Amino acid sequence: MDSKRLLSIFGVLLLIVFSFAIAPFLGNPYWSSVLIMIVINILLTSSLRTIFILDEVSLGQVGFTLIGAYVSALVVMELGLSFWAGLILGGVASAFIAMAVGYPFMKLKGIYFSILTLMTTEILRLIAYSWKPVTGGQYGLTGIPSPNPLTLPGIGEINFSSMNNYYYLALTIVLVCLFIMYIIEKSHLSRKWIAIKDADNLALSVGINVMKYKVLNFTIACFFAGLAGGLFAHYQGLLSAGATGRFGVMTTLNLVIYMVIGGKSKFSGPIIGTIAIMLLMEFARPLDNLRPMLVGAVAIIFVLLLPEGIAGLPVRLKSIGKKYVSGVLR
Amino acid sequence: METSLSFVLQAIANGLAMGGLYILVALGLTLILSIMGILQLAHGEIYMIGAYLVYYLTSSLGISLYIAILISMGAMGLIGLVLERGIFRPCKGDFLSVITVAIALTLILRSYAVAQFGLFERTVPKLASGSLVFFGVAVPKDRFVAMLIAAAMSVALYLFLKMTRYGQAMFACAQNPEGARLRGINPDLISPMAMMIGCALAAAGGAIAGSIWMLTPTMGTLPLVKGLIIIVIGGMGSLSGAIVAGIFLGLMDGIIPVFFGPVVTSIAPLVIVVLILLVKPQGLFGHG
Amino acid sequence: MKLLQVQGMNKRFGGLKAVSDLHFDVDKGEIFGLIGPNGAGKSTTLNMIDGSLSMTGGKIFFKGHDISGLSPYKRAGLGIARVFQRDVLFDSFTVLENVLTGLHLNSNLGIKDALMPFSPGTRKKEQDLENKAMELLDFVRLSDRPGMMAVNLPHGDQRSLGLAIAMATNPDLYLLDEPLTGMNAEETSFMMETINKLRDNMGVTIVVVEHNMKAVIGLCDRAAVLDYGVKIAEGTPSEVTADERVIEAYLGTEQDVVSS
Repeated sequence: MDSKRLLSIFGVLLLIVFSFAIAPFLGNPYWSSVLIMIVINILLTSSLRTIFILDEVSLGQVGFTLIGAYVSALVVMELGLSFWAGLILGGVASAFIAMAVGYPFMKLKGIYFSILTLMTTEILRLIAYSWKPVTGGQYGLTGIPSPNPLTLPGIGEINFSSMNNYYYLALTIVLVCLFIMYIIEKSHLSRKWIAIKDADNLALSVGINVMKYKVLNFTIACFFAGLAGGLFAHYQGLLSAGATGRFGVMTTLNLVIYMVIGGKSKFSGPIIGTIAIMLLMEFARPLDNLRPMLVGAVAIIFVLLLPEGIAGLPVRLKSIGKKYVSGVLR
Repeated sequence: METSLSFVLQAIANGLAMGGLYILVALGLTLILSIMGILQLAHGEIYMIGAYLVYYLTSSLGISLYIAILISMGAMGLIGLVLERGIFRPCKGDFLSVITVAIALTLILRSYAVAQFGLFERTVPKLASGSLVFFGVAVPKDRFVAMLIAAAMSVALYLFLKMTRYGQAMFACAQNPEGARLRGINPDLISPMAMMIGCALAAAGGAIAGSIWMLTPTMGTLPLVKGLIIIVIGGMGSLSGAIVAGIFLGLMDGIIPVFFGPVVTSIAPLVIVVLILLVKPQGLFGHG
Repeated sequence: MKLLQVQGMNKRFGGLKAVSDLHFDVDKGEIFGLIGPNGAGKSTTLNMIDGSLSMTGGKIFFKGHDISGLSPYKRAGLGIARVFQRDVLFDSFTVLENVLTGLHLNSNLGIKDALMPFSPGTRKKEQDLENKAMELLDFVRLSDRPGMMAVNLPHGDQRSLGLAIAMATNPDLYLLDEPLTGMNAEETSFMMETINKLRDNMGVTIVVVEHNMKAVIGLCDRAAVLDYGVKIAEGTPSEVTADERVIEAYLGTEQDVVSS
């Protein structure tokens, strides 16, 4: 193992320790709730990027989050299952629906795929908004319990109704998910996805079952989107599907912005972008209603000047530095 | 019997008025999509800003409504030019970049409207007051004026595309961008024009909607979604398809609520679009 | 033995007949040319053999089995490999990764390997695949730059890499779409040499679409000539180039039958 790799592993570990350690120092539930939303959105943005490996832009990730959220809330409330079962079932339900619609969906490309996913999300939202007996209709679901207390040897009982502890829980789950996604990114699966993105006819001609791998991609991405929904449901305690709420179109559109600002072609991109923009929104509170304008302006600047996002910054700076150094030496 | 007839007639009038507005939005969307190859997700925001500009001109400067609509169309057309040059052209060809700047533009324009005009609903003067009576049923006059304006603008666009040299070049470009390039038509000259016309039409749509209903900073979402539905049903890039699909969608939106709830009204067109995309993505009126 | 049989192949695009009632057989171990002027339907025919385009009518038999309705990846699994004219390689990959992707059918990497890419078992499998890929790169003389981005290779080497990707699927039948287009003299002779070596050493069968007649004569055992989607001649290269209808078909095109 070379020193560069060791260094980056060390850096990641340090960041993980830091993200655990930060919550008590901030010391109030407001910041914990901000951090919870950041980790949930990181998972969602990463799921968006999983599909983007195929060069497709899904504008419907939030629809699959909605499935995960409602399923995970309902199985806990109606069937009395545990939080963990609810979380997994939410993800599985979302993945299952993604797989069921995957074949016709993944046949579409580009603009068609984006519009299709956008419309599908709206359909799902409207169903949740109107299916009163199951989803509570426009009043939504209320009284979703937080996870049962967990007894860990040596630490004792952890109660997740506290914001701080829920943050630890969400962070742990999201880190596990990110680890799995990273593993997949380094495996032969993502090599196949990239091959399909580059030239799907050539991929077919070397025997790759293109549709199977595309549907698998969509299913995996939507599994994580569903999981994010479950995390959201048990954190929020209530779910509603209004047009301007959490499951509205704007949420998915924001995810696209996070991904692009963070860096669309790097695994770390969605993580960096989500943290950066959500923190920017927090620190820019004095701007009030003008905050989205700030985010929009930042996004445009990035697209036009730094298309590889924040994650691409080191490479960019290096090349600028090289130019400068060679200029000085000359 | 009489009440149900009156319901249906009013629903049709409402539907056609809405259809007219949707068409104004969809014509711009499809023009921009087929000529520049970009999905202008902020088109609804242009519509919204166009409406607020009319509100400002009429309420603060006391300019009469129709003049204000013309000024707003001109102003939004100019903004379209700036947007094409400044942000859309530089990321042309990259689908994700285009989507991102369009989303960013949505955030910017919407947050501007909220900051400037607040979240409260605003109104602008009516296009026309009073009603016309059909078969003993009164239908508000402004719905007819809205239809007339939408129809007039569609015809004007048609004449422009068919009769003028510039328009013909644009039409050729919309039908087949590659072929047009080979015939020596410079897309860099056509694109700003498409964006300008698209934005002006959207502004007109917004102003009319504001006059019939109300103005809110989020009023652009609905026509954007409807516009997307129309260009899918009509076939991407087909202007005549957009008009037929717009009337169809407007009638659906007008008539379905008479018989079903608001949810069915919103869901039905979406389901139709998803089915069309899955079965015949080139649209019902598209070719090839 | 007949490896490939094309029987009554038809393709219509709207009203346009791109290929009409095409019959031909390719024997095992043969290099068979599909030739004809531009727009004659050669690539369309190739697309129907590899399955990327569906036929309007007709049947295709491979090793005696009817493969007419099979999707391209299944045909690849049966032993048909295609080398495209445009999408020759995967742009995002290095030279080595390109061939590794081609080895998909010969790899037994499963979902377990996807979830444990760093496990010893998976590493061993991947190492074996890498060794195999290097052998293939050696065959096309690219083993000196496995880590180079494939898109940065010169044109001729890109085509060779495309051939190596096809070889990685270990096929019995190669479908080569204009393998010599855009090559300089040196690259052309290397490619012709490689194609011949491929057949002689591994006993595979090759169908090659080409409009360069000189290359066809130097390469093919037999050839069929298409014009407007109709077969107008079939035989040895010297037979078909002497055929009057072939000469007529090529007249008026910018191309001379023998010396282009």
